[in-house]
Amino acid sequence: MIRMFHVYKNYPNKIQALRDINIHIKKGEFVFLVGATGAGKSTFLKLIYRGIVPTKGQVIVDGINIARLKPGYIPYLRRNIGIVFQDFKLLYDRMVYENISFGLKAIGATNFEIRQQVKKVLNLVGLENKRKVKPHLLSGGEQQKLCIARAIANEPLILLTDEPTGNLDPYTSWEIMKLLFHINIRGTTIIMASHDKLMVDKAKKRVVRLERGRIIEDTQRGIY
Amino acid sequence: MIFENIGFYFREALLSFRRSALMSIAAILSITTILLIVGVFLLISVNLNLFLENLESQLEIIVYLEDNIPKVELDNLKSNITSIDGIKEVKFISKEEAYQRLSKDLGAQKDILGAIEVNPLPASFEVQIKDPKTIEQIANQITKFEKVEEVEYGRETAGRLLNFTYIFRRAGMLILALLVFASILIISNIIKITVYARRNEIEIMSLVGATSWFVKWPFIIEGFLQGFISSVLSTIILYNFYFFAINKVHQAIPFLPLVVDNVDLLPIGIAIVLLGSLVGILGSMFSVGKYLNV
Repeated sequence: MIRMFHVYKNYPNKIQALRDINIHIKKGEFVFLVGATGAGKSTFLKLIYRGIVPTKGQVIVDGINIARLKPGYIPYLRRNIGIVFQDFKLLYDRMVYENISFGLKAIGATNFEIRQQVKKVLNLVGLENKRKVKPHLLSGGEQQKLCIARAIANEPLILLTDEPTGNLDPYTSWEIMKLLFHINIRGTTIIMASHDKLMVDKAKKRVVRLERGRIIEDTQRGIY
Repeated sequence: MIFENIGFYFREALLSFRRSALMSIAAILSITTILLIVGVFLLISVNLNLFLENLESQLEIIVYLEDNIPKVELDNLKSNITSIDGIKEVKFISKEEAYQRLSKDLGAQKDILGAIEVNPLPASFEVQIKDPKTIEQIANQITKFEKVEEVEYGRETAGRLLNFTYIFRRAGMLILALLVFASILIISNIIKITVYARRNEIEIMSLVGATSWFVKWPFIIEGFLQGFISSVLSTIILYNFYFFAINKVHQAIPFLPLVVDNVDLLPIGIAIVLLGSLVGILGSMFSVGKYLNV
């Protein structure tokens, strides 16, 4: 599903964010991306959704070479990728329902499809009775669930999550984790950047460790 | 794509108008103010132009004729002058008419004319021309005709007047250009601020896989609406203010030439509405583009 060959990423301020990254993530895998702040986790995720292009090397996502993708086709790549941010990036002046329908409308879904999908994902994350609430009235965990609901509403092949449990208590974090496992079991490839030792250890999934831009460890059923 | 979703785009544009009502109203008021300034200057410059034209149209060539020219030759000469390029009108003033005019001009002092036994004034043609700049050249041409005694057009006055109107027009154009340029900058910056306030939305849309035009359209419509509403508003204010003002001016100075014809004023209204709407559209298009590259 995702392959990287000798990928380097340098930022304009001469910082080498990634160095010689080689990785193969198969369809349906659940991968933790761990490492200290500044190790390159976010850069790794950005390469996948083509928020940035590699300075050197190749990134192939679902058969598409990121570096060669014309800007006009970026939206179509992103329709196969759901993204969940630590800072949620919700639209606080719109209701829960609209936060999801908005994204679906953006990719050309019909009103009927939108109604079906929104209902489905809200049920999945357990927010069906908050559909007409504005996000700022939701708890942190609920807001994160809404982000996940939005990210999976168009049934993407890949779900990228950047420290989704970063600001949540252990109980809520585990709820979010269970939700992500559930989504993973249904076939979605998930890459989760995390600092959360407790969750990583408990999950027993593949762990890729980054340190100063390099992969220094890649273990199946790893720990933090 | 645009036609498929046009309803959605308009709904989104209107919704965001409502969601950030205060911001939208502030933007509209600011743009209205700037367009008002442009409009006031445009009105001043149209009137100034009319005034200058009036001044220039008073430039004429007077062709003094020899005495006792037969009617046939007189007609010939008149048609010769009329056939010169750039002549607007040629009017014959007979010796008698000239005498009457003079006595009228002298008013109370007309008695001095009694001292003269024969009419000393020559007959003449008063020649009005289309373009004041050609006055010297045409005068030279007329001088060459037979039976013409003297040609007069106030060489120095004409030169000075033409210089003056030229500088005035150029300065006006320059100021107008600067003003329009400044207003474009300011309006697009106001629009940019309204877009900036919603940069999150743009980022999220782009991350969920919306095409850039899908993101842009509601903003373009909103920018257009802001520009359009502002410009219509300022045009309405401007027209009402203008007619109020020229009434006052006419009461004070009755004969001052002022543009009051709606046909002459219409282009100003159209220019303002076009300026506002276009800058609204382009301003929002470019501003959204900046936040789209996530």
